[in-house]
Amino acid sequence: MSGELLFVIGTLAGWVGGLAAARALVLALRLLLRPVGLDPARTRTSLGVTALVAAAGLLILAATPMAGPAKPPAWWIPLAWIYTPFQGLLVVGSVVMVVLRLCQAFLGLSEFERAERRKAAAAWGLVAVVGVVWFRSSNAPVVVFRGFVPLTPALAGGMVCLVVATMAIMVSAARFAAGRGWSKAIVSHLALMVGSVVFGLPFAWLVITSFKEDRDMASPNGIVWIPKVQIEVPYQDPDDPLLVTEMDGRRVETSIIERRPDGTLELDVIKPGSLRGTTLERRPDQVKEIPKMIPVVSQVRDGVTIVGRVIKELNDGRRRVEITEPAAMKGQVFEANPGDLEPVRRVGLRTQNYTDALEFLPPETNMGLVYLRNTLLLVVLTVLGTLLSSAIVAYAFSRLRFPGKNFLFMVLLSTMMLPGAVTLLPTFLIFRSLGMIDTLYPIWIPAFFASAFNVFLLRQFFMTIPMELEDAAKIDGCSYLRTFWQVMLPQVKPALAVIAIWTFMGAWNNFMGPLIYVNSPENMPISYALQLFQGDRGGEPGLLMAAATMTMLPVLALFFFAQKYFIEGVTLSGLGGR
Amino acid sequence: MTRPFAHVLLRWLLCACALVPHLAGAAPAREEVVVWGLGLGPDSKGLEATIKEFERRNPRYKIRILSMGAGRMNPQKLMTSIVGNVPPDAIHQDRFTIGDWASRGAFQPLDDLMARDRETDPLCPRPEQYYPPTWEEASYGGKLYAIPMASDDRVLYYNKKRFRERAKELRAAGLDPGRAPRTWSEVLAYSKVLTDYNPDGKTLKRAGFLPNFGNSWLYMFAFQMNASFMSPDGKTCTLYSPEAEKALEFIVKGYDQVGGYENAKAFETGFQGGENDPFIIGKVAMKIDGDWILSGLARYAPNLDFGTAPAPVPDDRYTKRGAFANEKDTFVTWVGGFSYAIPKGARNAEGGWAWIKWATSADARLLEMSAQQEWEKRRGRFFVPRIQANIETNERAYKQFKPADPKFADAVRDHIDMMRYARIRPVTFVGQPLWDEHVRALENAALHKKTPAEALKDGQAVVQRELDAVLSAKNYPVIDMGVPGYIGFGAILIGVIAFVVWFRRQRLGPLARSEARWGYLFIAPWLIGFLVFTLGPMVASLFFSFTSYNVLSPARWVGAKNYSDLFAGDWVNVSKALYNTIYLGGIGVPLGVATGLAVALLLNSAVRGMRYYRTLFYMPAIVPTVASAVLWIWLLTSDPNKGLINSVWSNTVGAWFDVAPPGWLNAESWAKPSLILMGVWGAGSGMILWLAGLKGVPTQLYEAASIDGASPRGQFWAITLPQLSPIVFFNLVMGFIGALQEFDRVYVMKPAEGSAGPADSLLVPVYHLFVNGFNYFKMGYASAMAWVIFLIILAMTLVQFKLAPRWVHYEADKA
Repeated sequence: MSGELLFVIGTLAGWVGGLAAARALVLALRLLLRPVGLDPARTRTSLGVTALVAAAGLLILAATPMAGPAKPPAWWIPLAWIYTPFQGLLVVGSVVMVVLRLCQAFLGLSEFERAERRKAAAAWGLVAVVGVVWFRSSNAPVVVFRGFVPLTPALAGGMVCLVVATMAIMVSAARFAAGRGWSKAIVSHLALMVGSVVFGLPFAWLVITSFKEDRDMASPNGIVWIPKVQIEVPYQDPDDPLLVTEMDGRRVETSIIERRPDGTLELDVIKPGSLRGTTLERRPDQVKEIPKMIPVVSQVRDGVTIVGRVIKELNDGRRRVEITEPAAMKGQVFEANPGDLEPVRRVGLRTQNYTDALEFLPPETNMGLVYLRNTLLLVVLTVLGTLLSSAIVAYAFSRLRFPGKNFLFMVLLSTMMLPGAVTLLPTFLIFRSLGMIDTLYPIWIPAFFASAFNVFLLRQFFMTIPMELEDAAKIDGCSYLRTFWQVMLPQVKPALAVIAIWTFMGAWNNFMGPLIYVNSPENMPISYALQLFQGDRGGEPGLLMAAATMTMLPVLALFFFAQKYFIEGVTLSGLGGR
Repeated sequence: MTRPFAHVLLRWLLCACALVPHLAGAAPAREEVVVWGLGLGPDSKGLEATIKEFERRNPRYKIRILSMGAGRMNPQKLMTSIVGNVPPDAIHQDRFTIGDWASRGAFQPLDDLMARDRETDPLCPRPEQYYPPTWEEASYGGKLYAIPMASDDRVLYYNKKRFRERAKELRAAGLDPGRAPRTWSEVLAYSKVLTDYNPDGKTLKRAGFLPNFGNSWLYMFAFQMNASFMSPDGKTCTLYSPEAEKALEFIVKGYDQVGGYENAKAFETGFQGGENDPFIIGKVAMKIDGDWILSGLARYAPNLDFGTAPAPVPDDRYTKRGAFANEKDTFVTWVGGFSYAIPKGARNAEGGWAWIKWATSADARLLEMSAQQEWEKRRGRFFVPRIQANIETNERAYKQFKPADPKFADAVRDHIDMMRYARIRPVTFVGQPLWDEHVRALENAALHKKTPAEALKDGQAVVQRELDAVLSAKNYPVIDMGVPGYIGFGAILIGVIAFVVWFRRQRLGPLARSEARWGYLFIAPWLIGFLVFTLGPMVASLFFSFTSYNVLSPARWVGAKNYSDLFAGDWVNVSKALYNTIYLGGIGVPLGVATGLAVALLLNSAVRGMRYYRTLFYMPAIVPTVASAVLWIWLLTSDPNKGLINSVWSNTVGAWFDVAPPGWLNAESWAKPSLILMGVWGAGSGMILWLAGLKGVPTQLYEAASIDGASPRGQFWAITLPQLSPIVFFNLVMGFIGALQEFDRVYVMKPAEGSAGPADSLLVPVYHLFVNGFNYFKMGYASAMAWVIFLIILAMTLVQFKLAPRWVHYEADKA
């Protein structure tokens, strides 16, 4: 017998045995505690059977020679995972179904049912045969992964605690009839909490990463969850001062490249990041020196911790450090490799990722404000256009009578299924012939021409409004336009709110439109800018996550304030808006 | 009449709506010259200096470099801007692609400008000053389309220290440890001695020579065999030739000698950059590479004892025997590089040309070098000049900026000297397919999936098909685009007249007539939008799908060729795209539906704080797609020290089973599961719908079931699920339709620009359409694709309506 099969058998036996042992433990405890409604005789029998199963399972586990690819620790729980291609899964699944149906055919209540079950079993058997043939012909490999979970004291203790806790809940639930709901609530909450962690973890990681320093982005000890920041102190560098000046109306921080004989300074921009590397010329009276923020480091020397500040990064990569502590050595200077110095850090948030992310944006976007302006423009116009056009069209379709209405409405409904891909290229040509490439017009203009889904939804709403309201308006001599605007529109406000929210989301997220139509940074909306930022600064998770957080925030804020409409919207569409 | 009348009408219509933008802005004081393909940064002091000097010499111009995204070589952006009549004034472009762009009519020929300025402007480029192959690479069809700039030829780099360490063994093998190998058999013999294995005897510890590590490809070795990849008339692809086959056999042999291609690739995945570059730390003893690596060596390993030599050539070539009996040049190399071109329709072409003349001149190049040298010096580094296409510039640069370190100086000299023996990739519009197929052939042969001859022949067939398609396009009749425009306009006119006549003949009272008029007025926004943005484009796209049209040149009627291409020529990609969709939809959609339902069931129990849980589960669904894609790229990072998911993996599954964490987006078999995983995370959007559905299930059913003693699980299968089945079915179909239109996530998450995931594992229909439509403006082919997607979706919708009553329980059935 192959080692892999033995391993699987041993693992199965071990798990059955282990679980049975746990159950036996629970049963034994129940016998001891005697909760209300316990049938001692049945429990005893059950305990006996369970203990037998447990003993058998564990014995098989002990007797099976189990060798994995890696050497197991002293105490371990075996794990096996059979990886098969989907043909293998088909075989296994259909065999299980055959067995299940055969059992049912045996236990069936009526002859009719038994016959039906037998037929089903035969059908599944056929599937299994096909599966086997397919599996054989595909020559697909089956891989058995053999593994061990080390059985540490913590794990063992945790498992025992879990068993005891589960039992305690069960016992108390059984003891107080009202406790049934209580225990159920606990189980629900537990499941919900586990789910929330799974769903919320990416967000937690996102936010925390956006506040982490670069050195914490990768760690062999697992993900760093508590962000720390380097402690920095101000320092006036006599050799290489940090100078502030103005460039095209923006404040820039620079360092000196050269002091010219005529007294002017040639400067190299350090900040903002988007202008980094540009060269400037300034007279000394045009610049102002500000202190640099330099990192504090420490080094252990003969058991004494020395703390100092890095006053210079030398060309060979070494650091020049001025000692600040202990007091006896204060002011002394030494040089060391960065690897021999330990940065002094404290728990804190590195908010600089956010400012840096904005400063790396192209200068013409004014730290991303232009993106925001473009997106807002897009969102406002799209929402406005969609609401106005869809509402008036829906009103006409619901209340006004005109020849051909039903036909036109059918046409409108049929366009709902039309994929955007079909009209994508000719639409591009239309906007091209209008000279609108590299502008935002192609993205919001179509919103003013009513979308089928929104018209359909609003029409349903207009239909529910009692006719009397409109008739009253008509008698008062209102025109159709006025009736629509003053009488009908206020009645469908909730539906409008829902459509507004969906449209907002759609416009905020619109990616393909800007990707096709917009080239210049000054015309870009946020969604596309974020993709470019990802391409540009792909290697810097801190900046990227800060940018992603900033992109998400407005939408999340809207969601929190208008949750009701989000959730109602899905319900009232009856379909789940996509 | 080039512009269809319908478009004119449309413009007028939109004018009436006061929507036409003010296209003409105020003229700026200085004319802006927009240049793409360059980026300013901490390491571009030289470029900055040339721009400043240009603006000083030409006060009327101001250079504007598009610094993000669009400026980086993104062919789709460049093409869209050219087609959209808003192109940059000059573009810094890989020379190898010039032929392709020129063939599509995207660039302007520069011959007239050259002829005009040749006598008057000393800065005007002179062909005789350039290495002929670089000039040839910038020309297409007898016209010049670009001016060559930086050039990079390849030589052999070898680590002398490694040679010394193994001197004894090398001598024992009859090899001279004091010099570089000169022939193919020599380089393999050296490689054998210089390769070390790990204790397992198979995996590599250090490699002597990996044929394709560095930058050689099949091109380098095939050039050495005097192979050419295209026939001189450019009509036949000759990827396969006995010479190219020999070159490929050499590559395969080189890999087999170090334990196979896979083994070598596995070794390469551990390589890093910067100071841990494999050549610097001695992990690779010899490689063929371009001069761009010198600046890295100068920065990270100025003390590395390395040497350069011409790349080893076939033995017969070195000894001038056999096929090479009459050969003049012993050594040859392969040159590539950059160039400046002016896109068609550039608004300030004159300014672009002025910039190009300056930027390619020897003065500018030397100014750039000296500024860069200044900057490097200040940072304690030394400067290594890059090789240029201009002969004079190279010589002056070598004189002026020769590195003090002799080994660097010799390396630069070697590169300059080899420029005389440089060959170029064929100038053709199928350059990209030829490149792609040559890579595919190399991999297939190296992996022994095919013999070298088979691999090359298969690749050749693909390229030839592409070539024939373009060449035969000229046989198809040109369509006068005015005709369909007139037909369209006529149809609208007839429609309007017919409608008016029809409306007049309706028997309506005056009130009803007025109401009907208002009705038509109110639905006008939709009706106009439908005609302009839906019906019109649909008809147009159907029309285009029978043509070959790239917007820049007139359309040609090709009949059903686009459709037959979908199912024949391009079937490899199309079937891959459909397979990927079925995979993503078939696994992802049910999984998403199941997750949504499971969460909804959990939330449906009346627990306290349900609101908060609901908010949390719903949040992933409302996050912008691009933002969540950016987040997931990092969650899925394969390095377990960085990526959240692999960190968890290596602490659980990895620790238990001793299985390496998956490569997710960078691995062919994990890329699609990555997207599915991300989709499941966002499955909360369906949850709210499920909740509503669950609330709608009549409670009497559950009460009756509990009385009958049904277990909660039984109740779920017998009551909840059948009651929800309409929503389940609807969501499955809608999800699949959504999966067919997947685009944003793939575009953002594909690991490399220009590809659709490793081995096309993320190629989805709309992405394929986008690339064909907007990278190449193959309007006809992309339209055909769009119609096929449309028909699939239509079929699915109809199937849904047909089948739903059979499978699905509707409350109304019982009535």
